[in-house]
Amino acid sequence: MKRQRRGILRILRNLFRRREAELELDAEVRSYVRMVEEERIAKGMSGAEAHRTAMREFGGVEQVKQAVRDRRAGAGMEQLWMDMRYGARQLWRSPGFTATVLFTLALSIGANTAIFSIVNALMLTRLPYAHPERLGTIYTRITGPISEDERHHINGEQWELLRDRVPALISAISNGHATGVDMRAGSHVEYLHYSRVSAHYLDVLEIQPLMGRNFTKTEDLPNGAKVAILSYGLWQSTFESDPNIVGKPILLKGEPYTVVGVLPQGATTPIEADLYTTIQASQNGEGGGTNFTDITRLRDGATWQEADAEINRAWLARHSRYEPQGAAVSYYSVPLQKGETEAVRPQATGLMLAAGFILLIASANLAGLTLVRMMRRGPEMATRLALGASRWQVRRQIWVEHLMLALLGGAAGVLVGYGALRELIVLLPEHYLPTASVPLDGRVLLFTLAVSVVTSVLFGMLPALALRDFDLRSALASRGMHGGDRIGVRQALIAGEVALTVVLLAGSGLLIRSLVHLETLPPGFDATGVMTAKAPLDDVRYRDSAEFRKLMDEGTAAMRQIPGVKYAAVGLSVPYERALNDGITLSEGPNAGTQVMSGMVYVTPEYFQALQMRLLAGRYFTDSDGPDTEPVVIVNQTFARKFFHGENPIGRHIEKNMRIVGVVADVPIEPGLEVLAPLMSEESIYEPAAQQNAQGLTLVHTWFQPDWIVRTRGPVDGLTGQMQKALASVDPNLPFSGFYSMKDLQAKALATQRVEVALLSAMAGLALLLSAVGIFALVANVVAQKTREIGIRMALGSTLKRAMVHVGAPGVRASAAGLVLGLLLCSVALRAMRSVLYGVGVYDGPTIMATVAVLALVTVAAGAAPALRIAKIDPAATLREE
Amino acid sequence: MGDNATNLLQGTLDLLILRALATGELHGLGVSRRIEQITKGTFLVKPGSLFPALHRMEEAGWLSSFWGESENNRRAKYYKLTKAGKAQMEVETEQWQKVAGAMASALKAV
Repeated sequence: MKRQRRGILRILRNLFRRREAELELDAEVRSYVRMVEEERIAKGMSGAEAHRTAMREFGGVEQVKQAVRDRRAGAGMEQLWMDMRYGARQLWRSPGFTATVLFTLALSIGANTAIFSIVNALMLTRLPYAHPERLGTIYTRITGPISEDERHHINGEQWELLRDRVPALISAISNGHATGVDMRAGSHVEYLHYSRVSAHYLDVLEIQPLMGRNFTKTEDLPNGAKVAILSYGLWQSTFESDPNIVGKPILLKGEPYTVVGVLPQGATTPIEADLYTTIQASQNGEGGGTNFTDITRLRDGATWQEADAEINRAWLARHSRYEPQGAAVSYYSVPLQKGETEAVRPQATGLMLAAGFILLIASANLAGLTLVRMMRRGPEMATRLALGASRWQVRRQIWVEHLMLALLGGAAGVLVGYGALRELIVLLPEHYLPTASVPLDGRVLLFTLAVSVVTSVLFGMLPALALRDFDLRSALASRGMHGGDRIGVRQALIAGEVALTVVLLAGSGLLIRSLVHLETLPPGFDATGVMTAKAPLDDVRYRDSAEFRKLMDEGTAAMRQIPGVKYAAVGLSVPYERALNDGITLSEGPNAGTQVMSGMVYVTPEYFQALQMRLLAGRYFTDSDGPDTEPVVIVNQTFARKFFHGENPIGRHIEKNMRIVGVVADVPIEPGLEVLAPLMSEESIYEPAAQQNAQGLTLVHTWFQPDWIVRTRGPVDGLTGQMQKALASVDPNLPFSGFYSMKDLQAKALATQRVEVALLSAMAGLALLLSAVGIFALVANVVAQKTREIGIRMALGSTLKRAMVHVGAPGVRASAAGLVLGLLLCSVALRAMRSVLYGVGVYDGPTIMATVAVLALVTVAAGAAPALRIAKIDPAATLREE
Repeated sequence: MGDNATNLLQGTLDLLILRALATGELHGLGVSRRIEQITKGTFLVKPGSLFPALHRMEEAGWLSSFWGESENNRRAKYYKLTKAGKAQMEVETEQWQKVAGAMASALKAV
C-alpha cells in the first residue's frame, strides 16, 4: 500500500516536475562526462582528446537520457501524452475527416445512449423501494386450448383470499391507475389524479409517511371512514407545506375526507398519484369483476415457492372461477419490476436492436473512412518506420487517434443522446413508461463509454490489419498506399451497412403501413364537427339517478343553446375510447341463456345523431325511453352478427326484459375484450342513460368519466368555453377535465403506434443517412484515385456520362448487393414484428417496393454527387501531372 | 566480457550496483569504477546501462540521492543505499549464491 502510494507520487512528480527532472538529469550527465575528462587529462591527454574519448565512451548523451526517461515511472503516460498531442495535430489537419467521424459517432452513439437510458430505466435500474427483490405480483398461467401467461387483474374474492390466506406475503391492491378527480380544500378547487389503494399498499412498498400514518385495516373495510394520504408534491403546492395538515378535511367527489398522512419527498408508487384514498374492496360492485391490480411483498423467512403454493391453494377455494374449458390454470409470483415493465419490454428490446444496427452501420462507415485515411498517410508512416519507429509505435499512434475520436464522439453522443431523450420523453404518451424518471445515470455513461471504445475497436481494426502487410519500400516510392485492392473491402462494408439499413427501412415501412391502416379504419360515424369533453361524475350527488337524469337533460339542453350547435348528447364512452365491459345474458336467439361479455355504453337520445352513427335497422332512442317505460337497447353490427348469426335481432330480448330496438354500424374503439389491435370494432350495446339505475351509475362512474358531445354546423368560436359555461349553468361545481376532438381521441388511442413509427423511422432515417455518407465517401475516393485514369479515358474520347458510370459503379454495385442481402435478412428478421403489425403482412409488396425505391434514390444521389466532380477534370492537366 | 556489459541480466547489474554502494555513497562514475574494481575488471558498466539502472533503483526506493562535491570539488550526484536497498542486497546476494553454487557444481559434474 505504502509502496503503491510512493509509486503514484513519483509518477505525479515526474509528470509535473518534468522540467526540473530534465535539468537535474542534464547536470548529472554533464558532471559524469566532466569527471571522465578530468581523469583523462590527469593521465596526460589533451583537453580536446579527453572530451572526444569521454563522449565516445558515454555513447550518445541523448540516447542515455532517453533510456533514463523511458525507465522513469509514468514514462508510458508521457508517451501516451505525446501520441495524443501528435494525434490531435493530425486530426486537426484533416478537419473534413474528423468532422465526418465525430458527426457519425455523435449521431450513432447518441441514438444508443437515448435508447439505452430507457432500457436502463425500465429493466436494469432497481425499483425505488426498499428490498425490491422481495416485491412481486401474481401472474396467471393458462395451458390448454387457450394459452396465456401474463399479469391478470383480480376480483374481490381473489383479493380477500390473497389477503387472508396467504401468510407468506403482505399483499395489497389498487385500482390500477390514477384517475381524475376534483378536490376542494376550503375555497380552493383543483383537478388532480388520485388512486384508491388497500390498507397495506404503502407497507408493501415500505413507504413510511412523512407525517401522520398509513391507512388502517378498518378504514379499508367497506363503508369505512373516508381518509386520504397526500403526495409530498400536493402537500407542498396546494397545502403550502401546512405542518398541521393531518386531521384536516378535504372534499373529494363532493364528500368530506380526512387527511391522515403525507408521503415523504421522492416517494413514488407504481401509480404515481397526487392523492390516495382507501379502496374499501368487497366481493360486490367493483370487486364483482377483475378490477384490482395486486402487489405483494415476501415476508421475512418465507420463500416465493411457499407463497405460490399458498396462492394456488387459497384461490382453489373460490366460488366463482373463470377457467376456460379443458385448460389448466395456475398462479405464480414474478418480480414486480417484470410485472410492471412486461408490456413495453418487446418495444424496448426492438429499439435497442435497431440502435445496435445503427452502431454497426456507423462502424462500417468509419472503418471505410479510416482505411482511406490510413492509405493516404502511407508516406508519413513509411517515414516514421524508416526513422526507426517500431511497428508497434506506429500502430499505437493509430489506436490512440481512434480512441481519441471515439471518446470525443462519445462525449458528443452523450449530449445528443441527452437532447434526444428529452424530446423522446415529451413524445411518449403519459404513463407509457412505468417509471417516474429516465435518468442519465452512471450506468448509462458507462454504457456510452463502453460503446465508444467498442466502436473505436470495430472501426480501428481494419486499418490496423491493413498496416500489418504494409510494404515500406513501395509506400515510400509511391505517393500513397495502393488503394485498388481495398475497394473490395470497402464495398463489402457498404453492402453490410446497406443490408442493415434495408431491414430498418422495411421495418419502419411496415409500422407506417399499420398506422395508416388503423387511422383509416372505416369509422362508421362522422368525426368532423364533433367536440367532446369529459367531466367526472363520481360526485356523491350523482349517485341518485333522478339527479343524474336532471343533469343529462338540462346540461344537453344548455349546450344545444350554443349558437352553431346542432346536436348535444352524453355517452359513457365515444369511438376511439375503451368501452365499459359488462356481462350480458342473452334471453333469446340461438344462444339463449348464455352469458356473454360485451361493451356497454349508456347514451342520451341524441348520441347517435351527434356522432352520425349509421342506423342499420330499427330506431334510435327517443326522449320517451325513460325510467318508467320498457327497457330498450340498441346493439351494434358485431353484436348482432356474433350472437344472432344474421337473424334480425330487432324485437328480441337480452337480460330477460330489455328489448332490442335498433342496430347501428360498428365504430372503432380501444378493445377491452379480445385485444387483436389497438383500434377495432367490438360487440357493444347502447342503453338509454335515463334507464340506468343508481347502483350501476355509482359503479361505472368510479371508472369512467362520461363524454359530453356536441356536433356543430361549422367552426364555432370559443366552443369549449361556451360548453363549460353551459355545464356550469346547470352545475357550477363540475369542471370539464379536458376537451377532445375525435381526431385527438384517435391520436390518443394510437399514441403507442405513433411513438413506434416515429422512433423506428428516425432510426431508419439515420441508417439511411449513414449509408448515403458511406456510398458518397466511396465514390468520392474512387474519383480522387482515378483522376488520372479518367483524364486518359476522356482524352481518348469517353463521354462524361460513361466516366461517371465508371466511377459510380462500385458504389451502386455495393448498394445493390446490400439491398439483396438486406431483403434476405428481412424475410427472417421482420417475422419478429408480426405482433405489432395490423392490417399488413410481414411480406408486404408496397413496403418492399418503397424500400427499394428509397434506397435506389439515395444510392444514385450519394453516388452522383461526387461523380459530378469529374466534370471538372481537365484531361490535359491530369496528363501533365507527375 | 566488457563489451557485453549492456547485455547483463538486469538482476546482475542491480546486484553489482548494490554491492558497489555497500561500502558507502558514490557518484555515477564512482559506481562504475567501483564495479570495475570489485569484479576485477570483468564488468565495465557503461552510462547507457548505468544511468537508467540508477534512476530506476532510486524510484524503487533502494537508493537515495543527493548532490555533493566530488574529489575535485565538482558538483556531482551521489547515490546511497537505503534500508530497503540493504535488504534487497541481502536477498539478491543469497539468491545469487545459490545460483552460482548450483552452476559451479553443474559445471564440475561434466
